[in-house]
Amino acid sequence: MALPDASGDVLSEMDVDAFRRLFPLRFFETHLVKSTRPDGRSLAEARETSSALGAVASADGSALVKIGSTRMLAAIKMEVMTPSKESPDEGCIAIDFHMPPICSPTVRPGRPAEAAPVVSKQLSDTILRQVKCLSCCSFCGMINLKELSLISGKAAWMAYLDIYCLDADGALFDAALLSAVAAFSHLQIPVVSMNDDGKVVVLSGDHGGKEPVNKGKRKLTLSSIPLSLTCLLHKNYILADPTAEEESVMETLVTVVLDSSGQLVSLYKPGGPVLAYTSAIQDCVALTRQRARELQTILDEVTSGMEVD
Amino acid sequence: MAGKGGAAPSTYSPSPTTQKTKSRIFGNDDVDWVRSDGREFHQCRPAFFKTGAVNAAAGSAYAEFGNTKVIVSVFGPRESKKAMMYSDIGRLNCNVSYTTFATPVRGQGSDHKEFSSMLHKALEGAIILETFPKTTVDVFALVLESGGSDLPVVISCASLALADAGIMMYDLVTSVSVSGLGKNLVIDPILEEESYQDGSLMLTCMPSRYEVTQLTITGEWSTPKINEGMQICLDACSKLAVVMRACLKGPDSTLEE
Repeated sequence: MALPDASGDVLSEMDVDAFRRLFPLRFFETHLVKSTRPDGRSLAEARETSSALGAVASADGSALVKIGSTRMLAAIKMEVMTPSKESPDEGCIAIDFHMPPICSPTVRPGRPAEAAPVVSKQLSDTILRQVKCLSCCSFCGMINLKELSLISGKAAWMAYLDIYCLDADGALFDAALLSAVAAFSHLQIPVVSMNDDGKVVVLSGDHGGKEPVNKGKRKLTLSSIPLSLTCLLHKNYILADPTAEEESVMETLVTVVLDSSGQLVSLYKPGGPVLAYTSAIQDCVALTRQRARELQTILDEVTSGMEVD
Repeated sequence: MAGKGGAAPSTYSPSPTTQKTKSRIFGNDDVDWVRSDGREFHQCRPAFFKTGAVNAAAGSAYAEFGNTKVIVSVFGPRESKKAMMYSDIGRLNCNVSYTTFATPVRGQGSDHKEFSSMLHKALEGAIILETFPKTTVDVFALVLESGGSDLPVVISCASLALADAGIMMYDLVTSVSVSGLGKNLVIDPILEEESYQDGSLMLTCMPSRYEVTQLTITGEWSTPKINEGMQICLDACSKLAVVMRACLKGPDSTLEE
Protein backbone atom coordinates (compact mmCIF):
# COMPACT_ATOMS: atom_id res chain seq x y z
CA MET A 1 0.00 0.00 0.00
CA ALA A 2 1.37 3.38 -0.97
CA LEU A 3 2.14 5.93 1.68
CA PRO A 4 -0.13 8.94 1.58
CA ASP A 5 2.20 11.60 0.21
CA ALA A 6 -0.12 14.53 -0.24
CA SER A 7 -1.64 16.27 2.75
CA GLY A 8 -5.01 15.90 1.04
CA ASP A 9 -4.81 12.16 1.57
CA VAL A 10 -4.11 12.62 5.26
CA LEU A 11 -7.09 14.91 5.54
CA SER A 12 -9.42 12.59 3.71
CA GLU A 13 -8.55 9.80 6.10
CA MET A 14 -8.78 11.99 9.15
CA ASP A 15 -11.63 11.72 11.57
CA VAL A 16 -13.96 14.74 11.44
CA ASP A 17 -13.48 15.56 15.11
CA ALA A 18 -9.72 15.44 14.80
CA PHE A 19 -9.88 17.70 11.75
CA ARG A 20 -12.07 20.13 13.67
CA ARG A 21 -9.54 20.33 16.50
CA LEU A 22 -6.38 20.46 14.40
CA PHE A 23 -7.52 22.81 11.64
CA PRO A 24 -10.45 24.69 13.15
CA LEU A 25 -10.32 27.54 10.65
CA ARG A 26 -10.32 25.25 7.61
CA PHE A 27 -13.05 23.21 9.22
CA PHE A 28 -15.26 26.28 9.49
CA GLU A 29 -14.35 27.56 6.05
CA THR A 30 -15.41 24.32 4.39
CA HIS A 31 -18.80 24.92 5.96
CA LEU A 32 -18.92 28.61 5.15
CA VAL A 33 -18.47 28.14 1.39
CA LYS A 34 -21.62 26.02 1.48
CA SER A 35 -23.39 28.85 3.41
CA THR A 36 -23.88 26.67 6.43
CA ARG A 37 -22.40 26.17 9.89
CA PRO A 38 -21.33 23.07 11.82
CA ASP A 39 -24.49 23.18 13.98
CA GLY A 40 -26.68 23.23 10.88
CA ARG A 41 -27.64 26.87 10.98
CA SER A 42 -27.50 29.21 8.03
CA LEU A 43 -25.11 32.13 8.43
CA ALA A 44 -27.71 34.72 9.40
CA GLU A 45 -29.65 32.45 11.72
CA ALA A 46 -29.59 32.90 15.50
CA ARG A 47 -29.85 29.99 17.89
CA GLU A 48 -33.04 28.97 19.61
CA THR A 49 -33.85 31.44 22.35
CA SER A 50 -36.05 31.06 25.39
CA SER A 51 -36.69 32.88 28.62
CA ALA A 52 -38.29 32.13 31.97
CA LEU A 53 -39.24 34.66 34.63
CA GLY A 54 -39.08 34.39 38.40
CA ALA A 55 -36.38 31.75 38.65
CA VAL A 56 -34.97 33.17 41.90
CA ALA A 57 -37.44 33.41 44.75
CA SER A 58 -35.11 35.42 47.00
CA ALA A 59 -34.90 38.28 44.49
CA ASP A 60 -37.45 41.00 43.64
CA GLY A 61 -37.19 40.25 39.96
CA SER A 62 -35.37 37.56 38.04
CA ALA A 63 -35.09 35.89 34.67
CA LEU A 64 -33.32 32.97 33.09
CA VAL A 65 -32.40 33.27 29.44
CA LYS A 66 -31.10 30.64 27.08
CA ILE A 67 -29.60 31.31 23.67
CA GLY A 68 -28.48 27.96 22.32
CA SER A 69 -26.50 26.59 25.24
CA THR A 70 -25.48 30.02 26.54
CA ARG A 71 -27.41 30.54 29.73
CA MET A 72 -27.81 33.67 31.86
CA LEU A 73 -29.48 34.14 35.21
CA ALA A 74 -30.30 37.74 36.10
CA ALA A 75 -31.75 38.83 39.41
CA ILE A 76 -32.63 42.22 40.88
CA LYS A 77 -32.54 43.02 44.58
CA MET A 78 -34.00 46.30 45.73
CA GLU A 79 -32.31 48.15 48.57
CA VAL A 80 -32.85 51.59 50.01
CA MET A 81 -30.34 54.42 49.87
CA THR A 82 -30.15 58.11 50.52
CA PRO A 83 -30.12 59.86 47.14
CA SER A 84 -27.27 62.20 46.30
CA LYS A 85 -27.70 65.96 46.64
CA GLU A 86 -27.39 66.53 42.88
CA SER A 87 -30.34 64.28 42.10
CA PRO A 88 -32.53 64.07 45.21
CA ASP A 89 -35.46 62.48 43.37
CA GLU A 90 -33.62 59.74 41.51
CA GLY A 91 -32.78 56.19 42.40
CA CYS A 92 -29.85 54.20 41.20
CA ILE A 93 -29.13 51.00 39.30
CA ALA A 94 -25.96 49.01 39.86
CA ILE A 95 -25.26 46.42 37.19
CA ASP A 96 -22.74 43.65 37.58
CA PHE A 97 -21.96 40.77 35.26
CA HIS A 98 -20.34 37.68 36.72
CA MET A 99 -18.66 34.73 35.11
CA PRO A 100 -18.37 32.13 37.89
CA PRO A 101 -15.93 29.25 37.33
CA ILE A 102 -18.82 26.88 36.59
CA CYS A 103 -19.62 28.56 33.27
CA SER A 104 -16.53 27.81 31.21
CA PRO A 105 -13.32 25.76 31.36
CA THR A 106 -11.30 28.95 30.88
CA VAL A 107 -12.47 30.63 34.08
CA ARG A 108 -10.75 29.61 37.32
CA PRO A 109 -11.66 30.65 40.84
CA GLY A 110 -9.77 33.69 42.08
CA ARG A 111 -8.96 34.79 38.53
CA PRO A 112 -11.99 36.55 37.09
CA ALA A 113 -12.59 36.19 33.37
CA GLU A 114 -11.33 39.02 31.22
CA ALA A 115 -14.61 39.25 29.35
CA ALA A 116 -16.70 39.85 32.49
CA PRO A 117 -15.82 43.52 33.20
CA VAL A 118 -16.17 44.34 29.48
CA VAL A 119 -19.68 42.93 29.29
CA SER A 120 -20.49 44.59 32.62
CA LYS A 121 -19.51 48.00 31.27
CA GLN A 122 -21.38 47.48 27.99
CA LEU A 123 -24.51 46.52 29.93
CA SER A 124 -24.30 49.57 32.19
CA ASP A 125 -23.81 51.84 29.19
CA THR A 126 -26.77 50.33 27.38
CA ILE A 127 -29.23 50.19 30.25
CA LEU A 128 -28.33 53.44 32.00
CA ARG A 129 -28.14 55.35 28.76
CA GLN A 130 -30.41 58.26 29.62
CA VAL A 131 -27.68 59.85 31.69
CA LYS A 132 -25.96 60.82 28.49
CA CYS A 133 -28.88 62.25 26.55
CA LEU A 134 -30.61 64.54 29.01
CA SER A 135 -30.38 67.33 26.46
CA CYS A 136 -32.75 65.96 23.82
CA CYS A 137 -35.86 65.45 25.95
CA SER A 138 -36.81 65.00 29.57
CA PHE A 139 -36.29 61.28 29.39
CA CYS A 140 -35.34 58.83 26.69
CA GLY A 141 -33.66 55.82 28.21
CA MET A 142 -34.93 52.38 29.15
CA ILE A 143 -35.63 53.14 32.78
CA ASN A 144 -36.58 56.46 34.30
CA LEU A 145 -34.50 56.72 37.46
CA LYS A 146 -37.13 59.09 38.88
CA GLU A 147 -39.45 56.11 39.21
CA LEU A 148 -37.01 54.70 41.74
CA SER A 149 -37.47 57.63 44.08
CA LEU A 150 -39.34 57.02 47.34
CA ILE A 151 -39.16 60.23 49.36
CA SER A 152 -37.40 63.10 47.62
CA GLY A 153 -34.01 63.79 49.18
CA LYS A 154 -34.50 61.15 51.88
CA ALA A 155 -34.89 57.71 50.37
CA ALA A 156 -34.69 56.09 46.96
CA TRP A 157 -34.29 52.63 45.57
CA MET A 158 -30.96 51.16 44.68
CA ALA A 159 -31.60 48.33 42.24
CA TYR A 160 -28.79 45.80 42.28
CA LEU A 161 -28.89 43.84 39.06
CA ASP A 162 -26.56 40.86 39.06
CA ILE A 163 -26.25 38.69 35.99
CA TYR A 164 -24.58 35.30 36.27
CA CYS A 165 -23.40 33.39 33.27
CA LEU A 166 -24.24 29.76 33.98
CA ASP A 167 -23.02 28.35 30.70
CA ALA A 168 -20.81 30.33 28.32
CA ASP A 169 -21.22 29.42 24.66
CA GLY A 170 -20.75 32.67 22.81
CA ALA A 171 -22.82 35.84 22.37
CA LEU A 172 -22.59 36.57 26.10
CA PHE A 173 -23.59 40.21 25.80
CA ASP A 174 -26.77 39.41 23.85
CA ALA A 175 -27.90 36.85 26.40
CA ALA A 176 -26.94 39.10 29.33
CA LEU A 177 -28.85 42.08 27.92
CA LEU A 178 -31.93 39.98 27.20
CA SER A 179 -31.88 38.53 30.72
CA ALA A 180 -31.47 42.02 32.19
CA VAL A 181 -34.45 43.34 30.25
CA ALA A 182 -36.53 40.29 31.19
CA ALA A 183 -35.58 40.65 34.87
CA PHE A 184 -36.66 44.32 34.85
CA SER A 185 -39.97 43.37 33.27
CA HIS A 186 -40.48 40.79 36.04
CA LEU A 187 -39.48 43.19 38.83
CA GLN A 188 -42.07 43.73 41.56
CA ILE A 189 -41.05 46.58 43.82
CA PRO A 190 -41.88 45.77 47.45
CA VAL A 191 -44.47 47.95 49.20
CA VAL A 192 -42.68 49.91 51.89
CA SER A 193 -43.36 52.54 54.50
CA MET A 194 -41.26 54.79 56.73
CA ASN A 195 -40.92 53.61 60.32
CA ASP A 196 -40.39 55.83 63.37
CA ASP A 197 -36.58 55.71 63.10
CA GLY A 198 -36.74 57.13 59.59
CA LYS A 199 -35.87 53.79 58.06
CA VAL A 200 -37.80 52.32 55.18
CA VAL A 201 -39.28 48.90 55.91
CA VAL A 202 -41.31 46.41 53.94
CA LEU A 203 -44.98 46.34 54.81
CA SER A 204 -46.41 42.95 55.58
CA GLY A 205 -49.85 41.90 54.39
CA ASP A 206 -51.95 43.83 56.91
CA HIS A 207 -49.91 47.07 56.48
CA GLY A 208 -49.85 47.45 60.32
CA GLY A 209 -51.79 50.70 60.15
CA LYS A 210 -48.99 52.41 58.22
CA GLU A 211 -49.44 54.21 54.95
CA PRO A 212 -47.25 52.80 52.18
CA VAL A 213 -45.05 55.43 50.55
CA ASN A 214 -44.98 53.82 47.12
CA LYS A 215 -48.55 52.79 46.55
CA GLY A 216 -49.28 51.93 42.94
CA LYS A 217 -45.64 52.17 41.91
CA ARG A 218 -44.73 48.53 41.96
CA LYS A 219 -43.67 48.18 38.33
CA LEU A 220 -41.13 50.13 36.36
CA THR A 221 -42.15 51.54 33.02
CA LEU A 222 -39.79 50.18 30.43
CA SER A 223 -39.78 52.58 27.54
CA SER A 224 -37.64 51.71 24.55
CA ILE A 225 -36.24 48.28 25.28
CA PRO A 226 -32.70 47.71 23.99
CA LEU A 227 -32.09 44.43 22.14
CA SER A 228 -28.91 43.26 20.57
CA LEU A 229 -27.25 40.87 18.18
CA THR A 230 -23.60 39.94 17.99
CA CYS A 231 -22.22 39.10 14.56
CA LEU A 232 -18.93 37.60 13.64
CA LEU A 233 -17.01 38.86 10.64
CA HIS A 234 -14.75 36.55 8.71
CA LYS A 235 -13.56 37.42 5.23
CA ASN A 236 -16.82 38.35 3.47
CA TYR A 237 -18.99 36.21 5.69
CA ILE A 238 -21.21 37.51 8.44
CA LEU A 239 -22.20 34.94 11.04
CA ALA A 240 -25.03 35.91 13.38
CA ASP A 241 -25.07 34.80 17.04
CA PRO A 242 -21.72 32.93 17.16
CA THR A 243 -20.96 30.06 19.49
CA ALA A 244 -17.92 30.07 21.79
CA GLU A 245 -16.04 27.88 19.33
CA GLU A 246 -16.77 30.20 16.41
CA GLU A 247 -15.74 33.20 18.52
CA SER A 248 -12.43 31.58 19.40
CA VAL A 249 -11.59 30.65 15.80
CA MET A 250 -12.71 33.81 14.04
CA GLU A 251 -12.12 36.76 16.27
CA THR A 252 -13.82 39.83 14.83
CA LEU A 253 -17.08 40.63 16.58
CA VAL A 254 -19.61 43.36 15.97
CA THR A 255 -22.38 43.93 18.50
CA VAL A 256 -25.29 46.12 17.50
CA VAL A 257 -27.90 47.31 19.99
CA LEU A 258 -31.21 48.70 18.76
CA ASP A 259 -34.12 50.03 20.79
CA SER A 260 -37.80 49.19 20.34
CA SER A 261 -38.28 51.92 17.75
CA GLY A 262 -35.42 50.52 15.69
CA GLN A 263 -32.99 53.30 16.52
CA LEU A 264 -29.34 52.52 16.99
CA VAL A 265 -28.35 52.53 20.66
CA SER A 266 -24.81 51.35 20.39
CA LEU A 267 -22.38 49.56 18.15
CA TYR A 268 -19.29 47.81 19.38
CA LYS A 269 -16.54 46.51 17.21
CA PRO A 270 -13.74 45.84 19.65
CA GLY A 271 -10.92 45.56 17.11
CA GLY A 272 -10.19 42.14 15.68
CA PRO A 273 -8.21 41.11 12.60
CA VAL A 274 -11.00 41.84 10.10
CA LEU A 275 -11.55 45.45 9.12
CA ALA A 276 -15.18 46.06 8.35
CA TYR A 277 -16.53 48.00 5.40
CA THR A 278 -19.58 50.19 5.81
CA SER A 279 -21.64 47.63 3.92
CA ALA A 280 -20.75 44.90 6.44
CA ILE A 281 -21.79 47.16 9.30
CA GLN A 282 -25.05 47.93 7.51
CA ASP A 283 -25.67 44.22 7.05
CA CYS A 284 -25.08 43.67 10.77
CA VAL A 285 -27.61 46.39 11.61
CA ALA A 286 -30.13 44.83 9.24
CA LEU A 287 -29.65 41.41 10.85
CA THR A 288 -30.05 42.98 14.30
CA ARG A 289 -33.28 44.66 13.23
CA GLN A 290 -34.69 41.28 12.26
CA ARG A 291 -33.38 39.62 15.43
CA ALA A 292 -34.78 42.40 17.64
CA ARG A 293 -38.27 41.60 16.33
CA GLU A 294 -37.79 37.92 17.23
CA LEU A 295 -36.55 38.80 20.69
CA GLN A 296 -39.43 41.23 21.24
CA THR A 297 -41.91 38.44 20.47
CA ILE A 298 -40.16 36.13 22.94
CA LEU A 299 -40.24 38.84 25.62
CA ASP A 300 -43.91 39.60 24.96
CA GLU A 301 -44.77 35.92 25.30
CA VAL A 302 -43.08 35.46 28.68
CA THR A 303 -44.40 38.69 30.15
CA SER A 304 -47.95 38.03 29.00
CA GLY A 305 -47.68 34.55 30.52
CA MET A 306 -46.79 36.20 33.80
CA GLU A 307 -49.82 38.49 33.86
CA VAL A 308 -52.20 35.55 33.45
CA ASP A 309 -50.89 33.94 36.66
CA MET B 1 -21.29 51.17 37.80
CA ALA B 2 -24.02 53.05 39.62
CA GLY B 3 -26.04 55.60 37.72
CA LYS B 4 -24.13 58.53 39.15
CA GLY B 5 -20.42 58.85 39.75
CA GLY B 6 -18.69 59.01 43.09
CA ALA B 7 -18.53 56.49 45.88
CA ALA B 8 -21.36 53.99 45.96
CA PRO B 9 -23.90 55.15 48.51
CA SER B 10 -24.46 52.81 51.42
CA THR B 11 -27.66 50.89 51.08
CA TYR B 12 -29.75 48.65 53.28
CA SER B 13 -32.37 46.05 52.65
CA PRO B 14 -35.85 47.22 53.60
CA SER B 15 -36.94 43.74 54.67
CA PRO B 16 -36.99 43.03 58.41
CA THR B 17 -33.90 40.82 58.62
CA THR B 18 -33.41 40.16 62.30
CA GLN B 19 -36.37 38.63 63.99
CA LYS B 20 -35.04 38.88 67.53
CA THR B 21 -38.08 37.19 68.99
CA LYS B 22 -36.56 33.76 68.81
CA SER B 23 -38.83 30.92 68.04
CA ARG B 24 -42.39 31.27 69.00
CA ILE B 25 -42.33 27.54 68.80
CA PHE B 26 -38.77 26.32 68.61
CA GLY B 27 -37.84 27.29 72.18
CA ASN B 28 -40.73 25.45 73.73
CA ASP B 29 -39.71 21.87 74.24
CA ASP B 30 -43.14 20.48 75.02
CA VAL B 31 -45.14 21.99 72.22
CA ASP B 32 -45.82 19.92 69.18
CA TRP B 33 -45.06 22.36 66.40
CA VAL B 34 -45.35 22.02 62.70
CA ARG B 35 -42.51 22.84 60.34
CA SER B 36 -43.18 25.97 58.32
CA ASP B 37 -43.21 24.02 55.05
CA GLY B 38 -45.55 21.40 56.47
CA ARG B 39 -43.05 18.54 56.52
CA GLU B 40 -42.72 16.00 59.28
CA PHE B 41 -39.56 16.17 61.39
CA HIS B 42 -37.94 13.24 59.64
CA GLN B 43 -39.11 14.09 56.16
CA CYS B 44 -36.73 15.53 53.56
CA ARG B 45 -37.68 18.10 50.98
CA PRO B 46 -38.43 16.62 47.57
CA ALA B 47 -35.12 16.39 45.75
CA PHE B 48 -34.73 17.21 42.08
CA PHE B 49 -31.56 16.41 40.16
CA LYS B 50 -30.59 16.96 36.55
CA THR B 51 -27.30 16.12 34.93
CA GLY B 52 -25.78 17.92 31.96
CA ALA B 53 -26.83 21.37 33.14
CA VAL B 54 -23.73 23.09 31.74
CA ASN B 55 -22.60 22.22 28.20
CA ALA B 56 -19.18 23.82 28.53
CA ALA B 57 -18.22 21.46 31.36
CA ALA B 58 -17.05 17.86 31.19
CA GLY B 59 -19.84 16.96 33.56
CA SER B 60 -22.40 18.92 35.50
CA ALA B 61 -25.47 18.64 37.64
CA TYR B 62 -28.23 20.88 38.93
CA ALA B 63 -29.92 20.15 42.24
CA GLU B 64 -33.01 21.69 43.73
CA PHE B 65 -34.20 20.96 47.26
CA GLY B 66 -37.07 23.32 48.00
CA ASN B 67 -35.55 26.78 47.64
CA THR B 68 -31.97 25.54 47.73
CA LYS B 69 -30.72 25.60 44.16
CA VAL B 70 -27.21 24.58 43.19
CA ILE B 71 -25.22 24.02 39.99
CA VAL B 72 -21.98 22.04 40.00
CA SER B 73 -19.62 21.84 37.02
CA VAL B 74 -16.73 19.40 36.72
CA PHE B 75 -13.76 20.16 34.47
CA GLY B 76 -11.01 17.75 33.66
CA PRO B 77 -9.05 15.65 34.21
CA ARG B 78 -6.83 18.41 32.85
CA GLU B 79 -3.41 19.93 33.30
CA SER B 80 -2.74 21.26 36.80
CA LYS B 81 -2.56 25.04 36.60
CA LYS B 82 -0.46 25.46 39.69
CA ALA B 83 3.15 24.46 39.12
CA MET B 84 3.25 21.51 41.39
CA MET B 85 5.49 18.53 41.90
CA TYR B 86 5.01 15.29 40.05
CA SER B 87 2.20 13.26 41.49
CA ASP B 88 1.25 9.74 40.48
CA ILE B 89 -2.28 10.28 41.71
CA GLY B 90 -4.73 12.87 40.47
CA ARG B 91 -5.61 16.07 42.28
CA LEU B 92 -9.03 17.26 43.25
CA ASN B 93 -9.72 20.98 43.33
CA CYS B 94 -12.99 22.27 44.76
CA ASN B 95 -14.59 25.67 44.94
CA VAL B 96 -17.98 26.74 46.27
CA SER B 97 -19.33 30.21 45.61
CA TYR B 98 -22.64 31.99 46.11
CA THR B 99 -24.48 34.37 43.84
CA THR B 100 -24.99 37.80 45.37
CA PHE B 101 -28.73 37.21 45.39
CA ALA B 102 -28.55 33.73 46.93
CA THR B 103 -29.08 34.94 50.47
CA PRO B 104 -31.97 37.01 51.84
CA VAL B 105 -29.54 39.87 52.50
CA ARG B 106 -27.48 40.69 49.43
CA GLY B 107 -23.92 39.47 49.33
CA GLN B 108 -23.91 37.42 52.53
CA GLY B 109 -22.97 34.25 50.69
CA SER B 110 -19.27 35.02 50.92
CA ASP B 111 -19.45 34.10 54.60
CA HIS B 112 -19.11 30.44 53.67
CA LYS B 113 -15.42 30.34 52.87
CA GLU B 114 -14.95 26.95 54.57
CA PHE B 115 -17.36 25.19 52.18
CA SER B 116 -14.72 24.72 49.48
CA SER B 117 -12.45 22.74 51.74
CA MET B 118 -15.37 20.84 53.30
CA LEU B 119 -16.52 19.81 49.82
CA HIS B 120 -13.01 18.70 48.95
CA LYS B 121 -12.73 16.58 52.08
CA ALA B 122 -16.16 15.05 51.61
CA LEU B 123 -15.41 13.91 48.05
CA GLU B 124 -11.72 13.05 48.27
CA GLY B 125 -12.24 9.63 49.83
CA ALA B 126 -14.76 8.52 47.21
CA ILE B 127 -12.81 9.39 44.06
CA ILE B 128 -10.30 6.91 42.65
CA LEU B 129 -7.50 9.44 42.24
CA GLU B 130 -5.14 6.81 40.81
CA THR B 131 -7.12 6.84 37.55
CA PHE B 132 -5.95 10.31 36.50
CA PRO B 133 -2.30 10.71 37.52
CA LYS B 134 -0.53 14.07 37.06
CA THR B 135 -3.79 15.85 36.29
CA THR B 136 -6.43 17.81 38.15
CA VAL B 137 -10.17 17.48 38.32
CA ASP B 138 -11.90 20.76 39.13
CA VAL B 139 -15.24 20.73 40.91
CA PHE B 140 -16.88 24.15 40.94
CA ALA B 141 -20.17 24.79 42.67
CA LEU B 142 -22.41 27.84 42.49
CA VAL B 143 -25.26 28.27 44.95
CA LEU B 144 -27.96 30.06 42.97
CA GLU B 145 -30.29 30.32 45.90
CA SER B 146 -29.67 29.46 49.51
CA GLY B 147 -32.64 27.84 51.21
CA GLY B 148 -30.93 25.91 54.00
CA SER B 149 -28.81 22.73 54.07
CA ASP B 150 -26.66 24.28 51.33
CA LEU B 151 -23.50 22.26 51.89
CA PRO B 152 -25.15 18.81 51.90
CA VAL B 153 -26.93 19.68 48.65
CA VAL B 154 -23.66 20.91 47.12
CA ILE B 155 -21.87 17.69 48.11
CA SER B 156 -24.56 15.38 46.72
CA CYS B 157 -24.83 17.45 43.54
CA ALA B 158 -21.04 17.45 43.12
CA SER B 159 -20.84 13.67 43.28
CA LEU B 160 -23.54 13.46 40.62
CA ALA B 161 -21.61 15.91 38.43
CA LEU B 162 -18.46 13.82 38.88
CA ALA B 163 -20.37 10.73 37.80
CA ASP B 164 -21.71 12.68 34.81
CA ALA B 165 -18.12 13.61 33.87
CA GLY B 166 -17.13 9.94 34.01
CA ILE B 167 -14.70 10.36 36.92
CA MET B 168 -14.15 6.99 38.59
CA MET B 169 -15.59 6.78 42.08
CA TYR B 170 -16.07 4.00 44.58
CA ASP B 171 -19.67 5.09 45.03
CA LEU B 172 -21.91 8.13 44.79
CA VAL B 173 -21.52 10.46 47.74
CA THR B 174 -24.67 11.66 49.43
CA SER B 175 -25.00 14.09 52.25
CA VAL B 176 -27.81 15.04 54.63
CA SER B 177 -27.91 17.24 57.71
CA VAL B 178 -30.15 17.38 60.76
CA SER B 179 -30.75 20.29 63.09
CA GLY B 180 -31.34 19.92 66.79
CA LEU B 181 -34.23 22.17 67.81
CA GLY B 182 -35.06 21.73 71.46
CA LYS B 183 -35.88 18.08 71.99
CA ASN B 184 -36.49 17.43 68.34
CA LEU B 185 -34.29 16.52 65.44
CA VAL B 186 -35.39 17.92 62.10
CA ILE B 187 -33.88 16.59 58.93
CA ASP B 188 -32.90 18.67 55.88
CA PRO B 189 -33.51 21.97 57.69
CA ILE B 190 -34.55 25.12 55.81
CA LEU B 191 -32.79 28.45 56.37
CA GLU B 192 -35.15 29.54 59.13
CA GLU B 193 -34.72 26.32 61.07
CA GLU B 194 -30.94 26.49 60.68
CA SER B 195 -30.87 29.95 62.17
CA TYR B 196 -32.66 28.76 65.33
CA GLN B 197 -30.90 25.43 65.74
CA ASP B 198 -29.16 24.39 68.96
CA GLY B 199 -26.89 22.05 67.11
CA SER B 200 -26.24 20.67 63.68
CA LEU B 201 -25.08 17.29 62.44
CA MET B 202 -24.05 16.74 58.86
CA LEU B 203 -23.23 13.30 57.57
CA THR B 204 -21.71 12.46 54.21
CA CYS B 205 -21.49 8.86 53.14
CA MET B 206 -21.18 6.35 50.35
CA PRO B 207 -24.50 4.54 50.76
CA SER B 208 -23.76 1.30 48.89
CA ARG B 209 -20.59 0.75 50.86
CA TYR B 210 -22.11 2.07 54.11
CA GLU B 211 -18.99 4.17 54.68
CA VAL B 212 -18.93 7.68 56.10
CA THR B 213 -16.64 10.16 54.38
CA GLN B 214 -17.44 13.18 56.51
CA LEU B 215 -19.24 13.85 59.75
CA THR B 216 -19.47 17.27 61.33
CA ILE B 217 -21.25 17.90 64.59
CA THR B 218 -21.57 21.36 66.05
CA GLY B 219 -23.49 22.71 69.01
CA GLU B 220 -25.21 20.93 71.84
CA TRP B 221 -25.50 17.16 71.48
CA SER B 222 -25.87 14.20 73.83
CA THR B 223 -24.51 10.79 72.84
CA PRO B 224 -27.92 9.15 72.28
CA LYS B 225 -28.98 12.15 70.21
CA ILE B 226 -25.85 11.82 68.06
CA ASN B 227 -26.62 8.15 67.46
CA GLU B 228 -30.20 8.94 66.58
CA GLY B 229 -29.12 11.78 64.29
CA MET B 230 -26.57 9.63 62.48
CA GLN B 231 -29.08 6.87 61.93
CA ILE B 232 -31.63 9.28 60.47
CA CYS B 233 -28.98 10.75 58.18
CA LEU B 234 -27.74 7.35 57.00
CA ASP B 235 -31.28 6.28 56.13
CA ALA B 236 -31.93 9.52 54.26
CA CYS B 237 -28.58 9.24 52.46
CA SER B 238 -29.43 5.83 51.05
CA LYS B 239 -32.83 7.09 49.91
CA LEU B 240 -31.16 10.08 48.27
CA ALA B 241 -28.77 7.76 46.45
CA VAL B 242 -31.74 6.02 44.85
CA VAL B 243 -33.03 9.34 43.51
CA MET B 244 -29.56 10.26 42.21
CA ARG B 245 -29.04 6.89 40.53
CA ALA B 246 -32.41 7.22 38.82
CA CYS B 247 -31.32 10.62 37.52
CA LEU B 248 -28.03 9.18 36.19
CA LYS B 249 -29.80 6.37 34.39
CA GLY B 250 -32.29 8.88 33.05
CA PRO B 251 -35.40 8.21 31.03
CA ASP B 252 -33.54 8.04 27.72
CA SER B 253 -30.68 5.78 28.81
CA THR B 254 -32.99 2.79 28.79
CA LEU B 255 -33.36 3.32 25.06
CA GLU B 256 -29.63 3.23 24.52
CA GLU B 257 -29.06 0.10 26.51
